[in-house]
Amino acid sequence: MTPRDSKSDLIPGTLDMLVLRTLSLGALHGYAIAQHIERLSNDVLRVEQGSLYPALERLQRDGMITSKWGKSPTGRKARYYTITASGRKRLGEEISDFDRLALAIDKVLGRA
Amino acid sequence: MSWLDGLRHRVRTVLDPGSYERELEEEMRLHEELDAAQQRDPYRARRRFGNRTYYKEETRRMTWLGSLDVLRQDLSYAWRSISRTPTFTLTVVLTLALGIGLNAATFTILDKIYLRPPSGVRDPSSVRRVWIERPSASGKAFTSIAMSYPYYRAIATMAEPGGLALVTIHTDVALGRRRSGPKVNVAYATWNYFPVLGVHAAYGRLYGASEDRIRNGAPVAVISDRLWREQLGADSALSSKTIQIGPNVYDVIGVLPPEFTGIELRQSDVWIPLASQPLESWMREPWWEIAGYHIYFAVQRLPRGANERALEQRATQLLRQNHRDDPARMGRDTLETVQLGSIIEARGPGEGRQEYTISTRLAGVAAIVLMIACANVLNLLLARAVRRRREIAVRLALGISRWRLMRLLTTETLVLALLAGVAAVLAAWWGGGFLRSLLMPDIEWREPALHWRVIVFTAVVAVGCGLLAGIVPAVQATRPQLTSALNEGSPAGRGLTHRSYLRGALVVTQAALSVMLLVGAALFVRSLHNVRGVDTGYDVDRLLFGMVDFDADAEPPVATVAADMSAIAERLRARPGVEDVARATMAPMWGFSVTKFYFDNDSSTSLVGKMPTFTGITSSFFTTVGMRLLRGSVFDDRPGAPAHVMVNEEMARLLWGERDAIGQCIRFEKRDNPCYIVVGVVETTHNFGVVEKNPNPQFFVPLGNMPRKRAWDQGTTLIVRTRADAAPSATTDLMAELRRAFPAGYPSVRAMTKNLEREYRPWRLGATLFTAFGALALIVAIVGIYSTVSYGVSQRMHEFGVRVALGARVHDMLTLVMGEGLRMVALGVVLGIALALAAGRLISKLLYAIGPSDPGVMLLVSAILLIVAAVATLLPAWRAARVDPVTALRAD
Repeated sequence: MTPRDSKSDLIPGTLDMLVLRTLSLGALHGYAIAQHIERLSNDVLRVEQGSLYPALERLQRDGMITSKWGKSPTGRKARYYTITASGRKRLGEEISDFDRLALAIDKVLGRA
Repeated sequence: MSWLDGLRHRVRTVLDPGSYERELEEEMRLHEELDAAQQRDPYRARRRFGNRTYYKEETRRMTWLGSLDVLRQDLSYAWRSISRTPTFTLTVVLTLALGIGLNAATFTILDKIYLRPPSGVRDPSSVRRVWIERPSASGKAFTSIAMSYPYYRAIATMAEPGGLALVTIHTDVALGRRRSGPKVNVAYATWNYFPVLGVHAAYGRLYGASEDRIRNGAPVAVISDRLWREQLGADSALSSKTIQIGPNVYDVIGVLPPEFTGIELRQSDVWIPLASQPLESWMREPWWEIAGYHIYFAVQRLPRGANERALEQRATQLLRQNHRDDPARMGRDTLETVQLGSIIEARGPGEGRQEYTISTRLAGVAAIVLMIACANVLNLLLARAVRRRREIAVRLALGISRWRLMRLLTTETLVLALLAGVAAVLAAWWGGGFLRSLLMPDIEWREPALHWRVIVFTAVVAVGCGLLAGIVPAVQATRPQLTSALNEGSPAGRGLTHRSYLRGALVVTQAALSVMLLVGAALFVRSLHNVRGVDTGYDVDRLLFGMVDFDADAEPPVATVAADMSAIAERLRARPGVEDVARATMAPMWGFSVTKFYFDNDSSTSLVGKMPTFTGITSSFFTTVGMRLLRGSVFDDRPGAPAHVMVNEEMARLLWGERDAIGQCIRFEKRDNPCYIVVGVVETTHNFGVVEKNPNPQFFVPLGNMPRKRAWDQGTTLIVRTRADAAPSATTDLMAELRRAFPAGYPSVRAMTKNLEREYRPWRLGATLFTAFGALALIVAIVGIYSTVSYGVSQRMHEFGVRVALGARVHDMLTLVMGEGLRMVALGVVLGIALALAAGRLISKLLYAIGPSDPGVMLLVSAILLIVAAVATLLPAWRAARVDPVTALRAD
């Protein structure tokens, strides 16, 4: 799959899951989250990095993550996001949902 | 609490949108800068990030700020279109304000009468009033809370010991020694009244059982918070504080909390042990033994889990047993039953004051007016929605979602409804105060006319109306055939719009509801007219009554007063404006006295429910009040005259039937007392009120030879018959004489018409209010009919142009347009009459001498509505008839 300039290359909801998964490792700022998602998916799951912010706002609104301004290692002011308890719970649910979906796809493709 | 974090976040964005924007901007810039450093290419970083403005807006859309933005758009759209059409807006707002305001105003009254239990009572829902249902002579039972002390004693054991309290209220009692003192209501209540109601003293103490022993009541009083502030200067040191009522002085021992003002609609200010109640002039001791003093009422608190029906049965049994054992009743049984009712008296089971019934009917009327108003607004909005089809079609074509469009249109009507709601609250504030003083002027409305419940009520009605009036046209409007709507110029597009069944149905509804209200109004007006025409048997508009009251300790002997009155009578008789003067124990229809008497081998006790009343009079009484002597002669009233008595026709019939009453013998009080001979029979007149279902037996005794000598039986009331048109001068003369004769007293002169005026009140109220509401409804409905027809005409100008061009004459056009309008109204009238017939029985009890389905009234109202509707349709019809075909056909 070649990287395309598309905003909807992801299965809906995947971005939320990726963000939560990333934050489950520790508090990070926006750019670090984007970096981490890129690395995690080996650059396969490419989205415009700007689309991260509506997702962060939505997660924060729903109480899945919280944010706080802090200093980055280089001394810049940056907003750090932290996953909340309900965020972790949602992550678990989403992963199992996703697993079910992936299994179904595999079955359709005759690989399971 | 994660959702709380989320909520906090949302609230923060709304409260400080500026820093929210700044922070997001900063965050995104940092992101790009970091990426630019990483990629070593700022342009590549920017590409990787995407459209920053777009993502910023997307992010904002996630927050409440986004929702606010949409709301702001909707509101500004609504405001633009509202302010573009001020006449339309004003019509809608005023119509809705009228409808809602009327409802809110009547609600303030219903709320007080029916919904709100008296404040300050603990758990009012388990307090019960005791009602007695009494069979009456007319066969219909009469249920009332009034009972006498023997009744109370008989049924007291139905409750746990001390669980049944008894109270009587003296209204408008003057505080202080003099009669001119401030007037308050005084409650004389058994000691357990407070425990039963769960009321505690705010200061001092309440009285106990030892202070409320019959024959031995303590002179103590508990007062209201208001009285405490106004009379005692809110001094919480109560020792040595007293209040005086006439000659009696009471120690103030306690003050009640401000919220408790008794359990009646009228506020009480003083509570005194029942055993300490002063005797009214017509009462005598032992009042606790006399079964006829029905001036008390009882309250009880239901024990937990009590079976009310079983309690009622037990109390009924106790009461009947008591009656059987009563020697005065000679073992006669009773059919009286005991019933329990809510602490809110208006809820029954007995009938309350006529004003209660009127207020509920009025609420129904207000609801109908609101329905008419809503129908009208709906109609106006529908018309506008049709006018807007093109704009809406364009919006739809440009891709607005149906939901968003609905929201847009509904926001607009909601804004209208809220404006109307504000106007309605003002209307309710003013109208509620007005209605209160009109319906129940004797009640002190302590709470302001605008209770929060009224505001909530108004808001709910306004939003309901707004939603209803918004959604219906919005649904209609968002369902257009796009192409035909866009091609509005084509006749096909217009053909779809010019007839709408919904709008026609609304006009029919409005007409029908108006007919219903107008029928009600006409029925009340006729009733008032009928009541005013009732012949009470007296020459009402010729009669003046003169009386005098004294302070308790300054009262001259009654004999002196009677002699003075007699002297005044002689002097007045010589005046040019006066035809005749009489003295009596009581003025006609002022009150009544009864006494026990024996006739033939029977006694007055057998005349249950038909007890004759009597008046002591001078012999000039009959010519003065205008009563005809039917047989025999008038007695001589001078002292020492023979013991004669006169009866009215009804009493003669009741006691002696076909036999001649003249010469019969009546013995008062005891069977072996001397005989009073009947010397004359007079016509039967009204005694209790303008409206009397049955004729009342009555007899008259000479003042100079009263069967028993009691102070007030000596004839201290003057009755003056004036010449026609001489009432004002006679009033002045009479007042001047009374003032001269009784410088220390409080003389008063009343015209009999004034007394009767009070009795006309319920009918007058009904007539006034129904007429006012009906007229408002009619105006709203006429506006509706006019606007519908007028709008229809403007939509069909093209068609009318063609008709005129083809040779239609003015007459044809008028017939066409008016015919269509009037057909709708006629259908509405028919429906309205049917509705009025169905609803008639709801007000039949409030009418007098006219049935709720009076054909004359129905015809009159139908005629009124059709004529008014004809006038309303004439204007648009005229416009249609005068259309210039060239202009009309070229218009598009």
